[in-house]
Amino acid sequence: MELLKKTPLNGIHHDLKARMTDFAGWELPLWFTSILEEHNAVRSQTGMFDVSHMSRVQVSGKKAGQFLDKLLTRSVRRLEIGSSQLCLLCMEDGGILDDLWVYHVGVDEYLLVWNVGDIERKLNWLLRWSESDPDISINNTTDETAMVAVQGPAVCQLNSMKALCILSRYGHVHAKVNKLDMFGARTGYTGEDGFELISSTADASPLWRILMDQGVKPCGLGARDVLRLEAGMMLSGQDFNTSTNPFEADLAWLVDFHEGNFVGKASLLEIRRRGIKRKLVGFKVKGREIARSGYSIFKSGQEVGNVTSGGYAPALGVSVGLGYVPVELSSIGTGIDILIRGKMVSAQIVNRRFYKKGG
Amino acid sequence: MNPKEYKYTREHEWFCPEAENTGKTGLTKYAENQLGDIVFLDLPAPGTQVQQFEKMGEIESVKAVTDLFSPASGKVVEINTEAVDNPNLVNEDPYGAGWLVRLELSKPSELDALMSSDAYGKYVESLSHESTE
Repeated sequence: MELLKKTPLNGIHHDLKARMTDFAGWELPLWFTSILEEHNAVRSQTGMFDVSHMSRVQVSGKKAGQFLDKLLTRSVRRLEIGSSQLCLLCMEDGGILDDLWVYHVGVDEYLLVWNVGDIERKLNWLLRWSESDPDISINNTTDETAMVAVQGPAVCQLNSMKALCILSRYGHVHAKVNKLDMFGARTGYTGEDGFELISSTADASPLWRILMDQGVKPCGLGARDVLRLEAGMMLSGQDFNTSTNPFEADLAWLVDFHEGNFVGKASLLEIRRRGIKRKLVGFKVKGREIARSGYSIFKSGQEVGNVTSGGYAPALGVSVGLGYVPVELSSIGTGIDILIRGKMVSAQIVNRRFYKKGG
Repeated sequence: MNPKEYKYTREHEWFCPEAENTGKTGLTKYAENQLGDIVFLDLPAPGTQVQQFEKMGEIESVKAVTDLFSPASGKVVEINTEAVDNPNLVNEDPYGAGWLVRLELSKPSELDALMSSDAYGKYVESLSHESTE
């Protein structure tokens, strides 16, 4: 059996008796006490997640910006130092390799934070397109750093986060958290206010303890998945992959066709002209059954698509999900059926922002 | 922690004998703990005939779904509607308020095939060893 990779917080997770799971080759907490309790902490107070498995790659050098503009679906040209944006990495045919956050950290210096799945392939993709240009330096810092997401409406009531609360949304800064050096960004994956903190591996455990002492609840991947689904956020590799394009995945807003000439742009323009046949939608199940990833979607007895993410949404008290259906069935209000372990269950297509902060 | 007077299956159901060949069944603490927060119970309607070790329902937690098997053959006489309305009862009190189905047994001798509390405890221990290796 392959040994699982461990984050710098692995020991603390075991001390806290977390239920651990294998996530893309990393041993990570699935839950500490209960997914519902952890979900509730993030929706009502504050919770924190060990996201050290997320891949962190520095891209720097005189041609760093030019290089990223060649690969990313949104230009970094107008991204100010101290700000960040979500964008896509597409293949030549327009298929999505990943979604990622690009942080402009300094002159000719960027940080990419992306998903752990398929990491070798993505790193090779960067190396391939940089063509060993001495003016582009690519440095994978994942193993030298730790990353913790602190999320929830009360995040700015925490003493330790005071220095970060000056940030605007997507802003980032180097700051001290109780004397620990951090890179902090006002980003997240829960639909709540919050920060993502990157520290040295040595500072990870002290940071976690400081936050615990201030009442921040340790949360696992189970709660993280429920929270992101409620907020209508997609999971790369599950809700989209290299065989889906941004139009199908309802991610065209992350593609800037006006500037630059990034990999995949020609194909995407062609796809836009031709139109798409299927589209990702959100749905709400009528009943309490859970439509999980991989289940088939039907219309009038015909199989028309499949569920890519699905689960119980505690904030709403219903079961929701994301999935692909033919474009003509993708409008809000359309009724569909989902085959849930041998039983046809009715569902309705709804706005996929199932949960809205404060609403 | 598993009640002495109950009998157990390898699929982590318990059976608690009551008067006149009836008894209650539910999920064990181990199963509850493995599943995490339970959010939906799909239980058989009263009157349904069930067979020993065959599927009679489904349990959904936030993270997973599992089949519920009947510990013995017979007829469903009652289901725990309180647990249906509040599935978290199964997490809170799996051997008490979180019971699932009341059965009227057609072959009470089938219960001999179930495990005692001690045997089930050892069985669960062997499972947790497997999962840490």
